This record gives sequence, C-alpha cells and structure tokens, in this order.
Amino acid sequence: MNPSETVERRLLAVAMLGLIGMVCSFTVHGPARFWANFLLWFLFLLTVALGSLFVVSLEHLVGARWSVPIRRIPERISGLVVPLVPAALLALFSLPVLYPWARPGAVLAPIVAAKSAWLNVPFFAFRVVVCFALWLVSYRVLVGSSLEQDSSRDPALTLRLRRFAPVFAIFFGLTVTVVAFDWISSLEPEWYSDILGVYLFAGAFLAGLAATVLGVAYLIGQGRLPGVRPDHLYNLGAFLFAFTVFWSYIAFAQYLIMWYGNLPEEVYWYKHRVHGPWQTVTLILAIAHFLVPFLALIPRGSKGDLKTLCRVVGLVLGAHLLDLYWLIFPVLGAVPLLSWPELSFAMFFLGYALLWARRAMARGEDMPVGDPFLAEGLAFHL
Amino acid sequence: MSDPVHAVVGLFETPRALLEAIARLRPRGLGRLEAYTPYPVHGIDQALGLRRSPLPGMVLVMGIVGTVTAFAFQYWISAVDYPLITGGKPATSWQAFVPIMFEVMVLFATFTAGLGMLLLLNRLPELDHPLLGSSSMSAITRDRLALAVESEGDGLDVAAAQRALTEAGAVAVEVVARPPGPYTVSIAAAAVAALVAGVAVVAAGLGTWVAVKAFPALPPMVHMLEQPRLSAQGGSGFFEDGRAARLPVPGTVARGRLPHPFTRQEEASVLGNPLARTGPVLALGRRVYGERCLVCHGSLGDGKALLSAAYGAKPANLHTAAARALPDGQIYHVIVAGKNSMPPYVRELSQDERWAAVHYVRALQRAQNAEARDF
Repeated sequence: MNPSETVERRLLAVAMLGLIGMVCSFTVHGPARFWANFLLWFLFLLTVALGSLFVVSLEHLVGARWSVPIRRIPERISGLVVPLVPAALLALFSLPVLYPWARPGAVLAPIVAAKSAWLNVPFFAFRVVVCFALWLVSYRVLVGSSLEQDSSRDPALTLRLRRFAPVFAIFFGLTVTVVAFDWISSLEPEWYSDILGVYLFAGAFLAGLAATVLGVAYLIGQGRLPGVRPDHLYNLGAFLFAFTVFWSYIAFAQYLIMWYGNLPEEVYWYKHRVHGPWQTVTLILAIAHFLVPFLALIPRGSKGDLKTLCRVVGLVLGAHLLDLYWLIFPVLGAVPLLSWPELSFAMFFLGYALLWARRAMARGEDMPVGDPFLAEGLAFHL
Repeated sequence: MSDPVHAVVGLFETPRALLEAIARLRPRGLGRLEAYTPYPVHGIDQALGLRRSPLPGMVLVMGIVGTVTAFAFQYWISAVDYPLITGGKPATSWQAFVPIMFEVMVLFATFTAGLGMLLLLNRLPELDHPLLGSSSMSAITRDRLALAVESEGDGLDVAAAQRALTEAGAVAVEVVARPPGPYTVSIAAAAVAALVAGVAVVAAGLGTWVAVKAFPALPPMVHMLEQPRLSAQGGSGFFEDGRAARLPVPGTVARGRLPHPFTRQEEASVLGNPLARTGPVLALGRRVYGERCLVCHGSLGDGKALLSAAYGAKPANLHTAAARALPDGQIYHVIVAGKNSMPPYVRELSQDERWAAVHYVRALQRAQNAEARDF
C-alpha cells in the first residue's frame, strides 16, 4: 500500500467515525443541536468555497498578473461548491427546527410577522436554489474557462473572464448578503443588521485566502509550484492582513452602532453574546480573528514566510469557524455547547473536505499553463 | 573646499550592467557608492548594502503613541474632567473611544511616514545637488543608469575610480565637481518668493474676513432648539381645552415640597430642623434670607429696612426675647403660612430652603446676642 492511500484511508476512517458520532448526537441530543452543527459546517465550507471563487474572480476583475501562477489553487478549492449542493438541500430540513419563523403553527411577534413576505419556506428554498445556480454557473465560467485554456491556449478566454468578473462581483455581493440574511440573521428573526452581508463577505474572503495559502503550501511542499517565490506569498500575506483589518472594522462597526443605538430589538443579540457565558467566546473571537493575525502579519518578513503564513492562516480558518459558531450557536441556549457532538461534526466534515481537497489538488495542471500572463506572473517582483 | 571633486559618475545601459558594476566596485573601497536610476531597480538595495529603512519602526511606534494619546485624551475628558452621561452609557465607555483612537493612530502614523520619509530620511528640502549640473543628469532622467563613486571627504582617487568604472563596463565616465560654496539664493528669487507668500497671506486673511462677514455665527447644532414643541402660553389643537399649558394631575406633590400639615403656629413646635448646621446650609440660608427676607427684616434681622419706612409697615424685629425663644418649627411655620402682613412663602421656597433660612435666622440672632465664648 503506498503512503498516499494510507492517508486517504485514515481520512476516510476519521470521517466515518465522525458520521457515527453525528448519528449518535441526533438520537441523544435531538435535532436542534444536530442541525446547528450541520449549519455551522455547511456555512464554513460554503464560505471557504465562495471566498476562493472570489479570489479567482478578483484576479480577472483587476487584471492582476502576480497571482496567475497560484490561481489554480483557489480554482480547485472553489470546486467545493459542487458537493455542497446536496448539503444545502439537506440543510433545508433545519428550517422548522432552528428558524422560529419556519416552525409550523408558531405565533410570531408582529416585527417577525411583518417579514413573512421574505421569510417563508418556499421563497427561502427558491433563494437557495437560485444562489447555488448562480454560483455553479460562475464556477463553470471562471474555472471551466481557465481549465479549457490549459489545452487550447486561447487568449480570448482571458478576455472573456475579464468581462465576466465584474458581473460576478455584483451578484456575488448580492448572493452572499442573501446567505447572511437567510441562513444566519433569520435564526433570530427579530434582529437585523444591514451590514451582516459585508461581515460574512469579509469572513468568507479571509477563509478563501487562508485555504488558498494552505493549498499553495501543500503544493510547494511537494515541489509542484516551481517559480512561486516569497514575493507571491507576500502579496497573499498582505491581502490577509488587509482583510483581517477589514473584517475587524466591519465587526466593530456593527457592534458600535448597535451598542450606541441601544434599541431593544437590536441590542439583545449582542447582550446575549457580550455578557454572560458567551463573553468568553466573544473575547476569543476578537483575539483570534483580529489581534493575533493583525500583530503577526505586521512585520514585513512574516508576510513572505510560508511557515509563519501557514500558522496564521490556520488560526484564521479556526477563527472563521469560531465566528460562524458565535453567530449560530447562541440560539441553542445561554451556554456555549462544545462536546463530542461538535467534535464528531468536525471529524466528518474536515475529514471529508481534506479527502476531497487531496483529490482536487491532484487533478490537471498545477498552474494555468495556457494563461498568456503566466510568464509575467512568474517574473513578479515586489 | 579640500576636495573639489564630488564624484566620478559612470553611465550604464541596463540594470544588469549596473548591478554587476556595483558588485565589482563595492569591494574596492574607492569611495561611497551611490546609484542614480530613472526607475526602481530590483535588488539594488542589497547590491549597495543599504540598511533596511527605519521608517516602518517609526510608523509603528507613532501609531501606538497616537492610539494611546487618543485614549488618554478621551478618558480624561469623558471620565475625569467633565463626566457627562450620554445615552445612559458609563462615562468610560471604551467602545465610543475606538473610532477616535483609530483615526488618531492613522493621523500620527501617516504624518510620521510622510514627514519622516521626506524630512528625516530623504533630508529634504535639499535645494541643490552637485549632480544636477552634470551632463550625466540628462542621461539619467532619460534611460541611463548611473553609478557614482562619491568622495567621502578624505580625497578621492579620481583616476582609479575612472579606471574601475570603465573596466566595469561604463559607457561614459564623468568627473562631477563640487559646486563652490553652499547654494545661494539670488535676491530676485527671494523677492519673488516673499511676494508670493505675502499675497497668499493677504488673500487668506481677506478670504477669512469675507467668509466671516458673509456667514455670521452659524449655530453648529440646533436640533434640540428646533424640535417640535408647545410654548407655555400658546394654543394646542391636541387638548380639549385648546391650551398648551397643562395643570399637574390632582394630588401631585412636587419634590422637596411635602404639604405642611399644620394650620396653627403653636402646633408646628413639634417640627425640628432636619438640616445639619453646615457651611453649605448656612450659605443657602443666607442666600434665601437675602432674596426673600432682607427687604423687610433688614440685613441684621432687626426689622429696620428701607421698605419698612417707605410703606409704614412694621416688620418683626427678630432679636426680641420672644422671637429668640420661638422654636425652629414655629419660625418654619411663619415662613410657610405668613403672619400679619407677611405673605406665605410656601410657593417660592422649597422645604430645604425654608429650613436653611431658619438656620440663618438663628445665626443672625446669635450674632446680635453673642456670648463671651463666641469670640
């Protein structure tokens, strides 16, 4: 048996063990905790995939050259959106469990009842389908064209991608906002925050960048990205730094405005999270999602150093998961839940995602060899 | 003026040729090497052995200083100097400080970056440079890259430098002389600069004067002043009787004005003065006495005041044995209910003000009948 197969077997075993734990959790703790965990991991993988897709589109949007040699990595990771389609359909079963407005026969507060034109199950499902359809089409265009170029070497495809990128940017912004409002905000339907879409976008972009850095490190470790130098890594590190600050800016802006306004229908959401048992989670989130990456990425040397970057992006991905946990899990109760059910879900979804990523990383060319700007990208100097 | 030669300059055609020349000349130690290029050349910092710029460190330190300064200022204003509760938030609400801290951090950091780069590290303004008058300069500003072997003050071996640069592949070599003496500004140029500065100052002053005349004292924030409200004597379509002014709900008791339960002066003897005889209380009593009582009872309390003669009234002398023997409660009752031609002061004075006045009357009485131990 070769070592690659051993790794795959182990990942599969971890995932299967996690799956058993998930089933046990459903029977022991009931559906609410099960679906909250499911939603957490569904949104985590979705934001990683969408963030990677945005990293890809950003290159075409601004006409960047430096990122051409590493573009194949976010392209591959964004393919995760395809296996997430069944997960999304499955997640629809969480509606009557987790979402108060979708509970059959629930008596709704007037402020929630007034939102029923948007918050109803058929329209929700419709939006999920439309969003996924748009993402799948974008994936086909953005990544499919790039793969097609590997063999055809047709520069016209690059122009096509550049024309498509602005269109994608527009409905990417809209669909991410829909995800934030539908899957997260409507868990507590009295609460609303216009900026939550931007907040989720910032987190998703960071997660996509972090996954990209990990993918780059994986391929560099195997010697499959010749010509990718610290200069390229530096740009990824600078992006991470910028969007760490951006995420913190948005997160704090949302908090500051609600804290200042002190309106009951808004501020209860933060009261639940900032005081009492959830306070610890909030503090850890602030430290792990802002303070540590911010300080770690300030020195010039750390942005171009693969080892430092890997540590930082590991933390960033963990913080992004914690961020989603912090958004979703307070609906389950006053005390943060963290025990074997959460571990089981982590084992299953991480095991599955890593297994999937290993296979995705093995397919096709490691660089967009047909891209006319590849040579220029490889020659990039800071 | 010990060394009239500033530098020997060699011109190169490609960045690679320049970098190779630097590598060849650096170990020779002929003089200080300086490169002049029309565009940034990758790797030239390392080739010349330049130290990393201290600017990032300066910016970091000043950014931290800015953050701390902003926090300290806001803390001092909001929590120490003028604690004002806004929106029910505690005086030290760090959340409200954060935007200012962020902005001041950016301000300090950007000013440090900009001015530190220009003034400290680039040593600007530099009015002249020996190379500016050289014929190499026109080539450098076009497409040539120059390597200068500059004099370090202790004499430059011009011939050796010329030879070294030529051997390193320079397409042209020039000896640049040091300009005689420091750079001087001609009187005409100074006059023009002074004129421009003077015109700018006068124009700014005039502009400010016109702006102030044209837009007098705009009130900065008038939201509280201009809110929709009813005026006390105005009408209102909202209430049945059409008036804006409302009577209090029957049975309303104002703060500090509990109803006085006695009708006869003697009954009030049971009341004791609830206020301690402290400095602030006596100061209050003195103010109340001065505003309400003094006009009739006189500044000494002897009933001899200006008004009593003019109107033929006979206000009480507070120093009679009977007046001094009155219990505090009865004096209080007279203030509340009035006596003879003295009107009641129940509306004008709060409980505390009345009791403070009683204390002050006692002080006046003591002052007129002082005992030996009072001195």
